[in-house]
Amino acid sequence: MATAERRWIGKDIPRLEDPKLLAGRATYTDDVKLPGMLHTAVLRSPHPHARIARIDTSRARALPGVFAVVTGEDAKEMTNPLPAFCAEPVVQYCLAVEKVRFAGEAVAAVAAVDRYTAEDAVALIDVEYELLPVVTDPFEAMKPSTAKLHDPLPSNLAFEKTLSFGDVADDFAAADRVIRRKLRWHRASAQPLETAGAVCRYDPISQKMDVWSNTNMINYVGWLIANTLKVPAGRLNIYPMYVGGSFGSKHVLGKVIGIAGMLAKRSGRPVKFMEDRVDNLIASENLACDRFYDVELAVTKDGVFKSIRVKVVDDYGAYFQFGHGTHGNALAQVTGPYRMGSFEYTVQCVLTNKCQQGVFRGAGSDAGNFCLERLVDAAAQELGIDRVEIRRRNFIAPDRFPFKTPCGNVYDSGNYPAVLDRALEMSGFAELKRMQAEARAQGRYVGIGLATAQQRSVYGPTEFWFWYDSPGLTAAPESVGLSLGPTGEFVVTMFSPFWGNSPETVVAQTIGEEFGIDPAQVTVTYEDSQHALPGAGPGGSRMTVMLTGAAAGASRKLKDKLSKIAAHQFEAAPEDIVFADGRAMVRGLPDKSMSYGDLGLKAYWFKLDLPAGMESGLEARHTYDHPYLTKPSADRKDLGAFYPIMAHGAHIPVVEVEPETGRVRFLRYVAVHDVGTIVNPKSLRGQITGGITQGIGMALYEQSVYDADGQPLTASFMDYLLPTAQEVPRFEVGHVETPSPFTEYGVKGGGEGGRMIAPAAIASAIEDALAPFGVRVDEVPLTPERIVKLVEAAGR
Amino acid sequence: MKPPRFDYLAPRTLDETLAHLHDHGDQAKILAGGQSLIPMLNFRLAHPGVVVDVNRLTELAYVRQHDGGVAVGALTRQHAVERSELIRARVPVVAEACRFIGHAPIRHRGTFGGNLAHADPASELPAVMVALEAEMAVASRAGSRAVPAGQFFTGPLTTALRPGEMLTEIRIPAPPSRTGGAFVEMARRAGDFALVGVAALITFDGAGKCERVRIALCGVGPTPIRARAAEDALTGQAPTATALAAAADRAAAATSPPSDVHGSAEFRKKLARHFARQAIAAAVERSGGR
Amino acid sequence: MPTTIAIGLNVNGIRHELNVEPRWLLVDVIREQIGLTGTHIGCEHGVCGTCTVLVNGETARSCLMLAASADGAEITTVEGLSSGERLHPLQAAFREAQGLQCGFCTPGMLMVAHELLRENPSPSEAEIRESISANLCRCTGYQGIVDAVQLAASSQAGAPAAR
Repeated sequence: MATAERRWIGKDIPRLEDPKLLAGRATYTDDVKLPGMLHTAVLRSPHPHARIARIDTSRARALPGVFAVVTGEDAKEMTNPLPAFCAEPVVQYCLAVEKVRFAGEAVAAVAAVDRYTAEDAVALIDVEYELLPVVTDPFEAMKPSTAKLHDPLPSNLAFEKTLSFGDVADDFAAADRVIRRKLRWHRASAQPLETAGAVCRYDPISQKMDVWSNTNMINYVGWLIANTLKVPAGRLNIYPMYVGGSFGSKHVLGKVIGIAGMLAKRSGRPVKFMEDRVDNLIASENLACDRFYDVELAVTKDGVFKSIRVKVVDDYGAYFQFGHGTHGNALAQVTGPYRMGSFEYTVQCVLTNKCQQGVFRGAGSDAGNFCLERLVDAAAQELGIDRVEIRRRNFIAPDRFPFKTPCGNVYDSGNYPAVLDRALEMSGFAELKRMQAEARAQGRYVGIGLATAQQRSVYGPTEFWFWYDSPGLTAAPESVGLSLGPTGEFVVTMFSPFWGNSPETVVAQTIGEEFGIDPAQVTVTYEDSQHALPGAGPGGSRMTVMLTGAAAGASRKLKDKLSKIAAHQFEAAPEDIVFADGRAMVRGLPDKSMSYGDLGLKAYWFKLDLPAGMESGLEARHTYDHPYLTKPSADRKDLGAFYPIMAHGAHIPVVEVEPETGRVRFLRYVAVHDVGTIVNPKSLRGQITGGITQGIGMALYEQSVYDADGQPLTASFMDYLLPTAQEVPRFEVGHVETPSPFTEYGVKGGGEGGRMIAPAAIASAIEDALAPFGVRVDEVPLTPERIVKLVEAAGR
Repeated sequence: MKPPRFDYLAPRTLDETLAHLHDHGDQAKILAGGQSLIPMLNFRLAHPGVVVDVNRLTELAYVRQHDGGVAVGALTRQHAVERSELIRARVPVVAEACRFIGHAPIRHRGTFGGNLAHADPASELPAVMVALEAEMAVASRAGSRAVPAGQFFTGPLTTALRPGEMLTEIRIPAPPSRTGGAFVEMARRAGDFALVGVAALITFDGAGKCERVRIALCGVGPTPIRARAAEDALTGQAPTATALAAAADRAAAATSPPSDVHGSAEFRKKLARHFARQAIAAAVERSGGR
Repeated sequence: MPTTIAIGLNVNGIRHELNVEPRWLLVDVIREQIGLTGTHIGCEHGVCGTCTVLVNGETARSCLMLAASADGAEITTVEGLSSGERLHPLQAAFREAQGLQCGFCTPGMLMVAHELLRENPSPSEAEIRESISANLCRCTGYQGIVDAVQLAASSQAGAPAAR
C-alpha cells in the first residue's frame, strides 16, 4: 500500500519537549512550591487485615511544626470514597476507614513544615489494631467461608462471569487435539521513577480546590475527584504536570489527592504529598495482573487453530478500582493475529489482603499474549509442525481487513506475514539456527524465541462495562486548542499531561504537516482543567492517534477560516486556497499568497477586511472522539468495536541460559512492529525499546512479592528489580507500516507493544534454550532459581 | 524517607574523633562514606543519638606499602582502592572485588573501612579480607589493638568493634609468590548485593600442587565463611577437575545461607558450589607458577 | 527550634551560605534551600541514581549524603551544564539521539555520562552500559541513551560544540 508523500509526519524531528527536560527546568509535581506549603508523611498499617480500634494522634499534633493530622474518621467526614470503575460495592477511602485491608494501607497523615518533621510526627501516632484473619491465596479467598475483606460483598469473589462467542463447544469437539496449559503471570508494578503526588490548595471562601498533580484523566473523570474531595465540580481546578513516567500507574490518583486535599482543608495551607518509593511500592495503584490461567487451544492435526478457552483467576488485592477492566482489555485480542472462529473467556476476580491492582502497560493484553503464544508454541511442538509455519498457517490474511473477531472487536488493518518475514530476515533466522546447533554442540544452551502478537491501541471505554449487564460510558475523547496569532505564530493548547510520550512533538508535526511550517516553530502550552476541553489523556496507546486526530481537526477548522479570509482577499474561491511553505495561496497563482503573519494580522486587527459576518480572531478548538467505537449488543454476543486500531509485532529474542545458575543473557533481540503510519520514528523506537525493557523486567526480574502472612517483601528497589543498561541488549527494531483506515494519517498506537509482546517471546526463547532438558515455561518472571528448578524437575 | 533527628559532630582529627566516641559510647555512629548508613537512616532503621562525621579525616585516606603488603587507611574511598597501582600490583583480588561494589558513584563516596565495619553478610570486602588474612587496626582513646580479619566479623552487621572504637587501618599481607587470586560473584543485576561471592587464593609449590589455599565466601552466612575444609581438601593436591569439585562441595557444605526473595538457602548453596569451583579454577589459572 | 549548623556549598560556581539541620540530605538542600529542582528524587536509598550530582568533580548520589558532610564542596548539578540558552554538547547529543522520554532520570544520567566522557573520551558500548547502569531509566530501554553518549563522544572528538 503506497504511503502519501508527507513533509513532517514520519520524519525524525527533535522533540519539542526535550530542551527543558535536558536543562532540568521542567516542572514535575515535586517541583511545585507555594507560599506556606506544608509537606506530608503517611502512617501505614503494618498489618494486612485488621480493625482499627483506636488512633491516638495527640503526641503527633503536639510536635512543633505540625499543622494537621488526619485519620480515617476524618476521611469519612471530609471526603467521599475514591473513584472506582467497578459496579461492585467495593469502597475505598484515601485513608483506611474502620479497617485496614493490606499491609501498607494509609491509616493517618500528617502535614508539617517539612517532610522530616512530618515523618517525626508519624512516629508519634499510636494505633491499636484488632487483627483479622489474613487472606492471601486467591483460591482460599474466593471460598464463601473465608473471612471477607468487604462486608457488603457476599464473598471475596468480587466478580465472576463467562463470555462465550461463536460455537466453542462444537469447535472443541471437532478438534483433533486440545492443547492445554496452566500458566502463571505474577504481580508486577509499574514503578515509574517519579512517584505519585499532589499539591492541593483550598480556599474555603470560594470553595475552590487547586490541584497540581501527576494524575491523569483530569478532563475525563475530574468531576469524580471533585466528588472525592467534596468540592463542587466546577470549583476543582487540576493543573496537568510534567510526569516522570506513568505506564498506567497514574490514571486516577484519588489517594494522594484525597490525602493532600484533606490536609489542605484542615490546615488552611497548601499541602504537598509526594509518595516516597516505599509508598509507591507497597501502596500505590500501580500493581498489575496477578493471574492463574488454565487455557486450552483446539487445533486440527494440520495445525489450524479453531478455538480457545481461557479460564483465569485474577488476584486483585484489597480493592477493585478499575474493576475487571483489564479483562475487558484482553478480550480485544484473545484470538491474537489468528483466524479462530470462537472463544470462551471465564474470569474470576478475587480480593485478597494485598495492595490493589491498577493497570500497567499492556493492561491485561500482555498476559493474554503470553497465554496465546505459549499455546501456539505448545501446539507446534505437540503436532510436530514448525512454529514459524504454524503461525503463517493461521494468520489472518492481509486482504481480510477490517476483520471482525469472534467477540465483535474489529482489527482495522494488518499484514502479519510481512511483519514475520521482516523479523525473520532481520534476525537471519536460518543462520541463528545454525549458530544454535553449534552452541549446543559446545554444551551451551542458546535459545531462539518467537512471538507474533497483537498490540491493540486506543481503548474504547465500553471495555470497562460490557462484562456487566447495564451500560456505561461511551466517550473517550481528546481535544486540542489551536490559535494563529497576529504575528503568524501557531500556539497549540494541550489539556492532558505529558507522560514521557511525545504529545507536543506529535501535535507540532501534525500542525507542520497541515500548514506547511516547521514544527519547531509551533509553541505548545498546557491549560488547567477549569479551562479545558474533554480528554481522557495518555494510556492504552491512544495519544498519537487521538492527538493527530484532534490537531488535524482543529487545523481543518482553522484552515477553513483562513481559506475564506484569503479567498476574500484574492477574490478567489475558498476551495482554491492551498497551504504550503508558511503561506496560504491561490492554487497555481503563487503571486496571490499571504504569509500566516499577514493572515494573522488581518484576522485580529482588520475586521473590516474580513468576509461579512466573520468573527475576528483565529482560534479553533476540536474534540476528537474515538474514531471507531460501537456499542455491544444487549445479549453481549457482539461486544462491538472497542479496540479496533490494531497494531502488531513479531519478536525474536536470542538468549543463552546457564542451567546451573539460572542466569539468562541476551545475545540478540529483534523486534518488528507495525503501528500503522509512523509519526516520529525515533520516538516510536524509544517506546518500543522502553517497552521491551519493561517486558524483560516482567520476564526475568520483576515481581511484587507477598509472603503467606500478607507482608510485602519487595518494598525497596533492592528487592523490586528494574533492569539496568547491563541487563538489556541493543535492540534491532524494524518496522512495517500498514495504515489504519480509520485514523488521521493512518496512525496506530505503539506505546505498549514492547511490553505486550516481549514476555511471550522471552519465555519462548528460554524454553527453546532448555529444550534439551524438556523444560516447559509456564510462568513469568523466570528468576534464576525458577529456571534452575525447571531444569532439575525436567531431569527427573 | 528522611533521617530521624540526631546530634552531629564533625571532628577534624583522629584524636578528636576518638574523644567523641569515648564520650558518647554506644550512642555514637560513625558516618564515613554514608552509602550504607544513610539508607538505614532514610528508612529509619537506625536511630543514632550522635552521628560522628569522619569525612574530614583525610589523614586516614591512604594506600601504602607495609611489610611487603599493603596498608589501607580506613577512610580511603573504594574507588581509590580500586584504582590504586599498589593494590593492583600486590593484591589484585582486592581491586577485582571492589568493582562489584555497587556502581562508581557509590564507590566515589563509600570507604574501604566503612564497608568492613558495616559488615553486611553479602559484602565482598569482608570475604576478601578473610581470605587474605588481613589485620584490622582498631583505635580508641585508650590505645590501639589489632584484630585478625577472621575474628573481626562476628555476625550480621556486627564486628569486634566495641563502643568507643574505630577501625583506622587495614593491613593486607602480600600473598606468597606463585599465588593466583580471583573473586567471582553472582548478583541479580549488575551492582546488586551478591547472592554469593567467592574469593580464592591458590599458591603453587612449583611441582604442580596447591601448596596454600585460601577460600572465603560472602552472601551465604551471617558473616564471611572461611571454607577451611575446602582449603584442606585442596592443599597438597593437583588442581584436577575432581579435586576442584570436591573442594567446591566442601565450600558449599560450610555455608548457611539466608532465604529471601532473590533465592532460597538451597539455591544459594548450589550457587556457592558453582562459584567456588569457578573462583578456584580462575585462581589456579592466574597463579602462573605451576 | 531544631539545631542548625552553618555550611557553605559552592553550587554551579555560586557560593551559598546556609543553615541546615544536620540530618538534611544534600538532595533536599539542593532542591529546597537552594531551589535547583533539576536534581530529582526517585528512591532515597541509593539505587535509582536520579539524584546524581558531581561532588568535587565526582558523581555521587545526593540522597546518600548529608548536606553537612558536603560543607565546602564544589557541587555541579544539571543546571550547571547548560549556559543560558545553549545546551551543553552532551545535552545536545541526548536531544539528537532522543536519549530521554519523560526526562526524570535525565539529569542524573547526564552527570554520569558527563563523567564517563571526561575519563574515557571513546568508550565502547559495553563501557557506556557499565557506566550508565548506575542509573535506572524506566522509559527508554537505555538504547537512546547509549546512542546519545556515543554521539557526544564522536562530536567531542572532532567537531565544535553543538547547539
